[in-house]
Amino acid sequence: MESLRRRTLLKVIVLGDSGVGKTSLMNQYVHKKFSQQYKATIGADFLTKEVLIEDRLVTLQIWDTAGQERFQSLGVAFYRGADCCVLVYDVNAKRSFNTLGTWHDEFINQAGPSDPKHFPFILVGNKVDQDAGSRRVVPEKKAKDWCASKGNIPYFETSAKDDHNVDDAFLCIAKLALEHEHDQDIYFKTVAESAPKTEEQPAGCAC
Amino acid sequence: MNLVIQLPLCARNLSDYLYSVQLLLGYLPTERALWPYELEKKRSQYSAYRDEFLLNPSEKIRRIEDSKLPRKKELNVVRSGLLPRSQVINEEHPLSFGKSSLWNKYFQESEILEQIDRDVKRTHPDMPFFSAKSNQESLRRILIVFSRLNPSVLYVQGMNEVLAPLFYVLKNDPDASNSASAEADTFFCFAELVSGFKNNYCKHLDNSQVGIRSTLSKLSQLLKKHDEELWRHMEVITKVYPQYYAFRWITLLLTMEFSFNVCIHIWDAILADPEGPPDTLLRICCAMLILVRKRLLVGDFTANIQLLQHYPLTNVDHLLHIANRLRGTVAS
Repeated sequence: MESLRRRTLLKVIVLGDSGVGKTSLMNQYVHKKFSQQYKATIGADFLTKEVLIEDRLVTLQIWDTAGQERFQSLGVAFYRGADCCVLVYDVNAKRSFNTLGTWHDEFINQAGPSDPKHFPFILVGNKVDQDAGSRRVVPEKKAKDWCASKGNIPYFETSAKDDHNVDDAFLCIAKLALEHEHDQDIYFKTVAESAPKTEEQPAGCAC
Repeated sequence: MNLVIQLPLCARNLSDYLYSVQLLLGYLPTERALWPYELEKKRSQYSAYRDEFLLNPSEKIRRIEDSKLPRKKELNVVRSGLLPRSQVINEEHPLSFGKSSLWNKYFQESEILEQIDRDVKRTHPDMPFFSAKSNQESLRRILIVFSRLNPSVLYVQGMNEVLAPLFYVLKNDPDASNSASAEADTFFCFAELVSGFKNNYCKHLDNSQVGIRSTLSKLSQLLKKHDEELWRHMEVITKVYPQYYAFRWITLLLTMEFSFNVCIHIWDAILADPEGPPDTLLRICCAMLILVRKRLLVGDFTANIQLLQHYPLTNVDHLLHIANRLRGTVAS
């Protein structure tokens, strides 16, 4: 029998500098649409998408945040209760790569997850389609090194325009968030030594 | 899409209407006889700002150098060949890291310039008026001059949206001389308009009594006062706080929520109301919630956020009518 106990809502936060394509990625993922004309995101936009992950229906609640530094202090309202975080940079814009550390740390600071070391992140290098890659300034190796330094964050190179790797990236973060949640459940269960109420004994291993 | 600006009933013609907009914003003095003088003064002031803030350092240095050369003959001699090395003072060399270097300042500001460029290009791209290069240049210059004159605010994303309706209406003035000076006039009108909302844009005021958070909580109080049931459903039951939807409503003066012509209509009400733009805006925001209360009351978190982030306006006059009924109730 399917477990109804676990919540199947995941809150996903998308972060990164202004203009790296956060809104485009989200709209490509949720609506399968691309436009060159998205307006700047002010505050944060909100979309949902349902995905099936290993027979489990999961609702992703995706928050597409504003990239300008001015809006960062207001982020806490959006970050609170987040299950995972997608960091985005533009492979053709060096500054957007250099600021990733700030976005990462600022998120951990403001969201205050219980287990910051293992909190699910992924890194997305967007706009790989631009000018067939000739304007690219951040090599893949550099991005992967950064990911390794942050505790092996999975890395995806995407094109929101061509719908390249977008689904895979979001699916990956959703899976990571579910695994993390599961680990946390086990952790809290052990700590609290409390068995779930009114639930059947799981048959075999719950993993 | 080309819009016909819908005149309020009180205005006889478009020019009159535009003067009234500039009067309401405090750009024009109340005494009509002073207008030509005032306009001339302001327009030449803007032109001086443009010179000061928009020339790149090499042009600035050239002008400084030029002013040092008294005779035209000498100027020609210098121009005819390469600039003698001694003339580039070390401090003003582009690669100099000196704090006072004009270039250093120029590079620091380049991030803001890029941001402005990016946003100007995505200002109503569906309207030919805003895709015209010359109009984009005007928007860009206004935002740059504003950011230089207001270092505590600089440029905040979304200001391009607030600027767009002002520039659109002033540029479409049938009076040719006014239209030709629309950039300067728009700059001052924009500065006047934003000054009433300035605190919302300042990051360092976010947690103060006057910043955006406090403005959002004023909206919350206003809703509680007029419709406690709705307030409770929103903030206690579904936890849909104003930060999630009204941040954009307020900082952008509703420009992203409605179509361009509806927005101009709403702005007329905001500008003309004797209670002043900030309080009027809050009443309109509260009225927007009350207008869709039935849907909000049956909605959960997701449904309500999605509804308010894509506000379904059906009748502007009805909205303004409700906002009008809330008059005098915004907490100061």
